Amino acid sequence: MDMNEIKEIFFQECEEQLAELESGLLRLNDGDRDPETVNAVFRAVHSIKGGAGAFGLDDLVSFAHVFETTLDCVRSNKLEPNQDVLKVMLKSADVLADLTNVARDGGSVDQARSAQLIRELEALAKGEAPPAAAPVAAAPKAVAAPVAPAPVSNDEGFVPVAFSFDDFGDEDEAVADLPSYEIVFKPKSELYTKGNEATLLLRDLSRLGEMSIHCNMDGLPSLDQMDPEAAYFSWKVSIKTDKGEDAIRSVFEFAEWDCDLEVTAHETGEASEAVADDLPMQPVPFDLSALDDEPDAPLGVVEEEEQIAAVQEAVAAAEAASNVVQMAASASRAPAADKGAAAAAAQNNAQQASSAAAPTIRVDLDRVDRLINLVGELVINQAMLSQSVIENDSNGVSSINMGLEELQQLTREIQDSVMAIRAQPVKPVFQRMARTVREIADITGKSVRLVTEGENTEVDKTVIDKLAEPLTHMIRNAVDHGLEMPEKRIAAGKNAEGTVKLTAKHRSGRIVIELSDDGAGINREKVRQKAIDNDLIAADANLSDEEIDNLIFHAGFSTADKVSDLSGRGVGMDVVKRSIQALGGRINISSKPGHGSVFTMSLPLTLAVLDGMVVTVAGQTLVVPLTAIVETLQPDAAAIHSFGATQRLISIRNSFCPLVDVGRILNFRATQANPVEGVALLVESEGGGQRALMVDAIQGQRQVVIKSLEANYTHVPGIAAATILGDGRVALILDVDAVVAASRGQSLQHETSLAAAG
Amino acid sequence: MAAKKAARKSLSLAPVLDLNEANALHGKLMALRGNPLAIDASAVERVGALCVQVLMAGAKSWEEDNQSFTFAKVSDAFTKTTQLIGVNIDHLMAKEI
Repeated sequence: MDMNEIKEIFFQECEEQLAELESGLLRLNDGDRDPETVNAVFRAVHSIKGGAGAFGLDDLVSFAHVFETTLDCVRSNKLEPNQDVLKVMLKSADVLADLTNVARDGGSVDQARSAQLIRELEALAKGEAPPAAAPVAAAPKAVAAPVAPAPVSNDEGFVPVAFSFDDFGDEDEAVADLPSYEIVFKPKSELYTKGNEATLLLRDLSRLGEMSIHCNMDGLPSLDQMDPEAAYFSWKVSIKTDKGEDAIRSVFEFAEWDCDLEVTAHETGEASEAVADDLPMQPVPFDLSALDDEPDAPLGVVEEEEQIAAVQEAVAAAEAASNVVQMAASASRAPAADKGAAAAAAQNNAQQASSAAAPTIRVDLDRVDRLINLVGELVINQAMLSQSVIENDSNGVSSINMGLEELQQLTREIQDSVMAIRAQPVKPVFQRMARTVREIADITGKSVRLVTEGENTEVDKTVIDKLAEPLTHMIRNAVDHGLEMPEKRIAAGKNAEGTVKLTAKHRSGRIVIELSDDGAGINREKVRQKAIDNDLIAADANLSDEEIDNLIFHAGFSTADKVSDLSGRGVGMDVVKRSIQALGGRINISSKPGHGSVFTMSLPLTLAVLDGMVVTVAGQTLVVPLTAIVETLQPDAAAIHSFGATQRLISIRNSFCPLVDVGRILNFRATQANPVEGVALLVESEGGGQRALMVDAIQGQRQVVIKSLEANYTHVPGIAAATILGDGRVALILDVDAVVAASRGQSLQHETSLAAAG
Repeated sequence: MAAKKAARKSLSLAPVLDLNEANALHGKLMALRGNPLAIDASAVERVGALCVQVLMAGAKSWEEDNQSFTFAKVSDAFTKTTQLIGVNIDHLMAKEI
């Protein structure tokens, strides 16, 4: 594993830490005063700082340091985390995220913004109210202070320990008068396995002042009984320093969880002499410079592995996973590579090298284990099958069939496991949205609260990656166009603070993401007028409310009076719709004037495989997603009732359900089929209602691999995708909801023209 | 004295004695047990606590076996690190040769 890989893992960790940070801050913002929450926030910043230090990312370290200092004040109850404080902190979290991204992808950050935030954070740490604009003179000091003591020229990567000691007293004081401390340092084995090194900790400790040390080797077993990687030594150190206990503890900052550490202070030097009496202490008066000039050999990585080492287990898992995932990941590779290329353009060579690391995902070890088990089973099954084939003569066909059945089951389980590996919670995407909301709220001067639900809903990684962009567009729209200004809201009798709600849930094998706001809703009159102005519809067109609402998905459509920085340039909803469609999803809007709008996106959970029922319609083979089907039944002539001119209903257990002739809607045949000769599939559509889809015959259930029609041909209304059957023929996968919608009168053709226009 | 006449082995330490090296060093020492040993630490540039542990455990075991365990040559970095972490190797320094 080279440095770039480790760095890549660090950035992945950072993303998790940032998410943790943000959710913690948001909980605090909601009035959560649990010390554990504050600790979690603190730890997140602390870990980022540690890792960043190991990689020499000085900007990140210095900002994180200031942030951490302020958080420490909150942690020690010196600072009340009120709304103003949290506002600064949330902004700081954003800047921290920016700095992390810059460190990864290159580019630049808004220096003025981070400098301003550093000032605000420092002011908070000192117990002042956040200044609107702190004196500029404070800025250079603020930025310089944390950086200065970091031995940047020294490539050892031990930067995080370089705390700002500026506050501490003058070093010229007579050593004899210095307070002395007794330190008992007992490393645990984990300290070493995480790549920390006791010698380096002791070296840093020795820099604080005059130090005597005793190494306790009592625990050391004989050579043949020892574990070379376990910790046996422990140390008793007495040190005279004016830097205080905090400085001593900060030396062990990154190791404190992996060692037993006791620091006791003695008023004068006497006590330490008493200690020296009963234990032979070795003074450490050396010029340790020889140790400082260690060559920066590749093996020096161990030193730099402060934080990174902590995730080495995860690395192993990630590596194993990425190997497995490579098979399934080819689909996601292409966009990722695009992104990489775009980023690389903006980078210098060194950074290019770091971005070249292949995209990875972090996977639960359990899931990998399960997969490995299954593959083992597969191998056994394969052996059994070939055995059966060889023994065919004596044993007959039945054992082969049994083996085949087992193989089938295994294949399916393996497939499920692989899919589970790619499944990731939507949480990171949702959390990014929180930031978008904050920023837009700031710019527009609106007060907005983002409520998220179902962040842990899991969906394929590819879907997650492609979800962020349309969601951002929609959130922008919701805040900028949807919500009213606070005065207007109060006038309308609503809470001045607008609410944007983002929820994710699983429904019938798809993920449904809902974005709702409690704003003004869509101004249909305005939308209609605008559409007429833009020649999207005829002036006398008679449109239902729903149709008007859907006009906003047309290209070049914006109802905002002014074009703002954020939205209103007419690119937006059409792009959103197209990206959702490209994912095999659908987007719907429902709006209540005065009460807000709800956008509902429904996306497939995975882009690779689905369970389908293979049916025949007018001589064509179609696949109906199994998740949509509630039940199948053979219609009775008596159960069929005519309704209106062309509609028919089927009576199922004393309730009526519209009968949808699939062959007719897809234009497979010109006349209506006779329901009695076919089979009805009772399906649940996303709208919630049930429909009976009429097909000619059911061939069977099968798992099919989805092949995108959009990518290989073009979008076909009513058809979600295609697949290849066992006999090599192509079968189309029915888009149940589109067909159901078509049966409600909007013909598929109409949908096509809308799509073509969009 | 018969035992002392067993072939004197020598072991040159790697320049970097870190976590990764601890196991290897342990293995090397185990293989050399029962023979007087002179360790050449002159190439050592960096040494971690784990390897010092292994070496000290070695010294202990050699002592139990009544064999000599000495550091024939040591580098500056090796000496300083052992002094820094309070491990006294003076008695193991080569004297008779």
